Amino acid sequence: MIKKQYSLTVCQGTGCISGGAEDIFSSLEDEIDRLNLGEGIRIKRTGCHGFCQRGPLVVVDPETSSGLFYSKVAPGDVSDIIQSFLPGGKPVERLFYRDPASSKPIPNYHDIPFYRKQERIVLRNCGHIDPEDIDDYLATGGYQALRKALFEMTPEQIIAEVKQSGLRGLGGAGFPAGRKWEATFRAGGNEKYVICNADEGDPGAFQDRSVLEADPHSVLEGMVIAGYAVGARRGFIYVRAEYPLAVKRLRIAITQARDKGFLGRDILGSGFGFDIEIFRGAGAFVCGESTALVLSIEGKRGMPKPLPRPRTAEVGLWGKPTLLNNVKTFANIPLIIVRGSEWFASRGTETSKGTAIFSLTGKVANCGLIEVPMGTRLREIIFDIGGGVPGGKAFKAVQTGGPSGGCIPASLLDMPVDFDSLTAAGSMMGSGGMVVMDEDTCMVDVARYFLDFTQRESCGQCIPCRVGTKQMFSVLDDITTGQGRPEDIDLLLELGESVAGTSLCALGQTAPNPVLTTIRYFRDEYEAHIHEKRCPAGVCQALVSKTPSLSKREGEGDK
Amino acid sequence: MMDKVSFTIDGLEVVVDNGTSVLEAALRNNIYIPHLCYHPDLEARGACRLCIVEIGGGELVTSCRMPVESGMVVKTKSPKIEKIIRPVVELLIADHHASCASCPSSSHCELQKLMAHLRIDRRRVRRLRLPKVKAPLDTTNPCFDYDPNKCVLCGICLQTCESIHRVSALYYVGRGYTTRIAFYGDKSRCESCRECVTRCPVGALISRKT
Ligand SMILES: Cc1cc2nc3c(=O)[nH]c(=O)nc-3n(C[C@H](O)[C@H](O)[C@H](O)COP(=O)(O)O)c2cc1C
Ligand code: SF4
Ligand code: FES
Repeated sequence: MIKKQYSLTVCQGTGCISGGAEDIFSSLEDEIDRLNLGEGIRIKRTGCHGFCQRGPLVVVDPETSSGLFYSKVAPGDVSDIIQSFLPGGKPVERLFYRDPASSKPIPNYHDIPFYRKQERIVLRNCGHIDPEDIDDYLATGGYQALRKALFEMTPEQIIAEVKQSGLRGLGGAGFPAGRKWEATFRAGGNEKYVICNADEGDPGAFQDRSVLEADPHSVLEGMVIAGYAVGARRGFIYVRAEYPLAVKRLRIAITQARDKGFLGRDILGSGFGFDIEIFRGAGAFVCGESTALVLSIEGKRGMPKPLPRPRTAEVGLWGKPTLLNNVKTFANIPLIIVRGSEWFASRGTETSKGTAIFSLTGKVANCGLIEVPMGTRLREIIFDIGGGVPGGKAFKAVQTGGPSGGCIPASLLDMPVDFDSLTAAGSMMGSGGMVVMDEDTCMVDVARYFLDFTQRESCGQCIPCRVGTKQMFSVLDDITTGQGRPEDIDLLLELGESVAGTSLCALGQTAPNPVLTTIRYFRDEYEAHIHEKRCPAGVCQALVSKTPSLSKREGEGDK
Repeated sequence: MMDKVSFTIDGLEVVVDNGTSVLEAALRNNIYIPHLCYHPDLEARGACRLCIVEIGGGELVTSCRMPVESGMVVKTKSPKIEKIIRPVVELLIADHHASCASCPSSSHCELQKLMAHLRIDRRRVRRLRLPKVKAPLDTTNPCFDYDPNKCVLCGICLQTCESIHRVSALYYVGRGYTTRIAFYGDKSRCESCRECVTRCPVGALISRKT
């Protein structure tokens, strides 16, 4: 009845599922059965495509250049989608993505600006394969890297390859992965561990969750290769407590990988044994810090350990050498092994190789999960991929790096995005959060919001972080409620420098960033709040009556 | 045979046993470095952050955990240290709900010593926001009371319980500003040895006279 063979993928990421994607999948299946079209239409579940804002998503033939992208699909659209495959059927135009600026429909998956400008390496399989079916991963070349590593490479060669690739850890600090691998390899003893950090405690970040939900095998494969390279036989994935779907898919993936011999006592007959356990996180943001995470697995209170101390690579879990990397760092490994370090290092900047992954959110037309080569300009990310600020509003700032990142102003939009440029601008790569702010955003309020998060999440062991972030929050709270004092800006700068300079771990060391950068780039807003008791953006409730911009907006509404 | 190392601290050439921390070496030579979480009986935890010194070309390290190295040049005072440490002490004082006059620890309080050493300027402290609520006294332990308003969370009590008396009856609870030490009253494993009370550097643990 249908001449061609179609493939229909239905996103089953957390975002699309909350929009009803599970029902849509079963309705599509029922409709295919009812019309007896099973031969012509292959339907499958995939993980997140990154464009959750437009979900639930259904993509027709995603691998072909003519692939169709249906957005915001509702159960009522199911029959029309299936009808479109029948002779004389037409694509369902009302479900096409529309360009936010021109309202022009863009039917083709690959023409959508959100995807066109991305380069998906870590997210290569996300939205394309069924995460609960290992055969789908194998069909894309999955576990070939593991074969190559086990049978054609020595641990030294693998480590050399990772070092040459220039891959830097994507968990925040950007530490060169190869150096960590080498240190763990060199550390003595025959009991070592590999830990994958999937704690992802940053509010708003969902990259690691998406990778685990959409492509769990790439992480497992990276971990087994790491185990072989550093000489470990046991791996742990420390998953954030609030990620049930990721845990479910990881469990399925681990079972399937064991069945196929990619995990277990004697992997693929190589004699090398490695297995992976899931550890569910304790729910504290600070447990994502490497030493706190290790303590947490050991069953102790997650509190970072002070320097100077031996590195986790030498003395880690239960005192043994431990390799700890982020989810995305591991997901990069199979491709580096298969395609080589040169291929990987051909993208990115001098000091940051490969790609960066961001959760693009806030006042931007296209929110979602994106991946771009390191060094891509902020402007391209926000305006080309993100589609700019909606509603004709002016762009004001972008906050990168999660709660401890900084706010970058419009004047720096042409800055390349990589580890070092972001740090130089007073922000950081961090977890890859990217929150776009428009003219209606109050920068003092933004700083207050982030400090509120960090001061709550401080583990409490060191004085500057425990008392200092709380104090900075109280001062910001006073400023936003009209109780700011003339000396407060200097006070915040002084406290910020002190907390950053004395805190024990990176939580406290970076917590002042949102305050320091907003003072650096938007000092006038602080001054308006303190000296004129006025919130220029009209956000701070206590100052609202004195705010001309808001009354102006109310006036406009009257017309 | 114990190896010796020599190093320079505030311009003074000093010889100490190998493995001595910079803080211990300083204290032994009558050079005071601010500290709260260090106690000679316990392993240095590096938690209070007050003992930061400058070594070599200006690197800042916590002296309690930094072993002395031969030829090391240490400065305990510098504009850089002053700038970041003074605010920490001021923060602590603003947060420390206490009147020294009625405190049993007055005169042997490490915080008082620190304040005198740094010549704390009350006007600078007044720029800070003071906590609005006072936390209630924890009276669940049978032999001492715990005043969270005075506690600096140095962790010495906890560490004492763990490594001196080897009981581990005390715990950290909570997160952020409300982090406390918990004594768990009747269910506590506490054996009333009072070793922790003896070592409290301020007046947060107060023996009850029953
Ligand atoms: C407060 C705090 C929270 C952190 N949370 C995470 C996290 O959720 N996930 C993560 O991978 N790294 C986190 N990190 C960074 C880790 O300490 C560590 O650098 C990282 O996991 C190492 O992996 P990588 O080298 O692959 O980046 C956190 C660090 C700090 C200080
Ligand atoms: S900086 Fe904050 S989170 Fe880190 S150890 Fe100190 S109190 Fe804990
Ligand atoms: S005495 Fe060194 S950090 Fe407290």
